[in-house]
Amino acid sequence: MLIFDHVTKRFGANVAIDDASLTIRPGVITAVIGPNGAGKSTLVNMAAGSFRATSGRILLDGVELQGLPKYKIARAGLSRTYQNIRLFDGLSVLQNLEVALVPRSLPTLIAQAFWLGPGAGAEVRDTCMAVLQRLGIAHLAERQAGSLAYGQQKIVELARAVAARPRAILLDEPAAGLNHGETDELKAHIQTLRGPELAIVLIEHDMRLIMSVSDDIYVMNRGAVLAHGNPEAIRDNPQVQEAYLGQPGAMGNIEAAARGRRNRVRLRAGEGLAWGQS
Amino acid sequence: MALMPIAVVVVGVFLPAYPLRILDLVLLYAILGMGLNIVVGYAGLLDLGYVAFYAIGAYTYALLASPQFDLHLPFLLILAIGAGLAALAGVLLGIPVLRLRGDYLAIVTLGFGEIIRVLMNNLDWMTNGPQGIARIDEASLFGWRVSTPVDFLYLLVGLAVLTFLFVWRLQESALGTALAAVREDQDAARGCGIDTTGVKLIAFATSATIGGVGGVVFASMQRFVSPESFTFWESLSIVLVVVVGGLGNPFGVMLGAGLLVLVPELLRAYADYRQLLFGVALVLVILARPMGLIRREYGPSWFARKLMAR
Ligand SMILES: Nc1ncnc2c1ncn2[C@@H]1O[C@H](COP(=O)(O)OP(=O)(O)OP(=O)(O)O)[C@@H](O)[C@H]1O
Ligand SMILES: [Mg+2]
Repeated sequence: MLIFDHVTKRFGANVAIDDASLTIRPGVITAVIGPNGAGKSTLVNMAAGSFRATSGRILLDGVELQGLPKYKIARAGLSRTYQNIRLFDGLSVLQNLEVALVPRSLPTLIAQAFWLGPGAGAEVRDTCMAVLQRLGIAHLAERQAGSLAYGQQKIVELARAVAARPRAILLDEPAAGLNHGETDELKAHIQTLRGPELAIVLIEHDMRLIMSVSDDIYVMNRGAVLAHGNPEAIRDNPQVQEAYLGQPGAMGNIEAAARGRRNRVRLRAGEGLAWGQS
Repeated sequence: MALMPIAVVVVGVFLPAYPLRILDLVLLYAILGMGLNIVVGYAGLLDLGYVAFYAIGAYTYALLASPQFDLHLPFLLILAIGAGLAALAGVLLGIPVLRLRGDYLAIVTLGFGEIIRVLMNNLDWMTNGPQGIARIDEASLFGWRVSTPVDFLYLLVGLAVLTFLFVWRLQESALGTALAAVREDQDAARGCGIDTTGVKLIAFATSATIGGVGGVVFASMQRFVSPESFTFWESLSIVLVVVVGGLGNPFGVMLGAGLLVLVPELLRAYADYRQLLFGVALVLVILARPMGLIRREYGPSWFARKLMAR
């Protein structure tokens, strides 16, 4: 269970998160939606320890994450993907996943490196290969992550987050920049993530994806939680529709916005795109 | 792969004294380069003060095996002490500076190198200052007196092989994976649960240890040490061995050591232009091959796979 408890975050005079409270339960997929600048990524960044909240608490299974160094937050069981892909470009896909499974204790690391103890290499490798298999990218294991197509990189990033066996996984726009086919594949993968122990946060603009996979939706606007409920309730909520373009019936505009944005991302990822089509 | 050291020994044994000394020097730089490579090549941190650890090793031997304090401890014991002191220095320096990034780290390590040299220069009562320490004992290993260049050839080849196997294993281990992640994207590595400061500290201390070992051997080879041997240029030379040869690749480092020692020697005939020619050559190499002469992926594991496949 991941809890944001009355969290506020100010960047100077700009209030990015305004007294937001969210409860992300394990076993279900919780979507966080909202227009650009609503504060969705900021929530993820605070939970992952990139910066501290101005006030409020963030709890993972009862443990306060605020103030822990980033790597300890990861070890507490939180993993994430990034809105702008951040893979270890020079490493192979398999190595990217292995990073998530590096032994935690420094003495163990030393012992393995200095030939004092048994290496766990093969075991870790098998675990990572199993994750790649599950996500259908086992054939890419030895490829250099930076040389992959954009869509493939997005899946690798998801795989890396999954490999760590987290208790909470936060996906920041995993479908951004993917085409329809890729998005459908991603949807299937996200659905397989569901497990009784795992709290899943899905941040997305693609309403089709959101409405089809999520069990619970938070709508953010200007840093505040505007609405919370199941997909049907959110779709019919006039307040939510108004927040998007200031008029009822505007839900479709979110998708339009998402599509426009998707094209932008595509252009930014020009190199990856070329690879994808070759 | 196992044939290479044997070949070096066979060739070396038949060389006259002068080229043999140069071969010894190549091996010493290769060892130092493989050590520094852990920090510069694997972890991607620029350390411009590596000579400090080398100096610590050298002075450890000079002080503990010479008339200076009339101490004459055995070579192996001093090797362990020198390595230990260098590792300690690595940790003590590492703790405050490893939070720094890129350029700042380079500057601070550079400063540390200079501090050690200035200390050696000024602690007259201990080090004789600029005059240095002479009449250092001959090394001896289990009754084997290591004194001629051929003796050192055996010793250095042995050490180089050990260092090579050690750094290879390190690179292939989980620690190597963690360091690679730090090099690629430190922030994302933290997000994956890597204690980046911790693993960098291990890298720093390990690399310092190898520098210390190199220093002990150097002092026993020269039988004389003075601060002059431990200037910033020495640090820079070792960085160049790594960068020219191949960042993150022990084979590259060996090649780099060969070139950085041999080329200046060959250019001796053109004394006036030596520095200039050498500098131009370096710049050309780095421009043409920014990742070094032998790229990272063609390392020992690649080579081992190639051998297996045949
Ligand atoms: N590091 C930062 N420094 C200053 N301001 C920031 C920082 N990160 C985010 N902000 C501000 O916080 C607000 C929320 O941004 P955030 O990135 O969380 O939005 P978002 O909901 O993820 O939007 P998008 O859909 O565009 O990704 C914005 O006004 C943004 O300018
Ligand atoms: Mg965002």
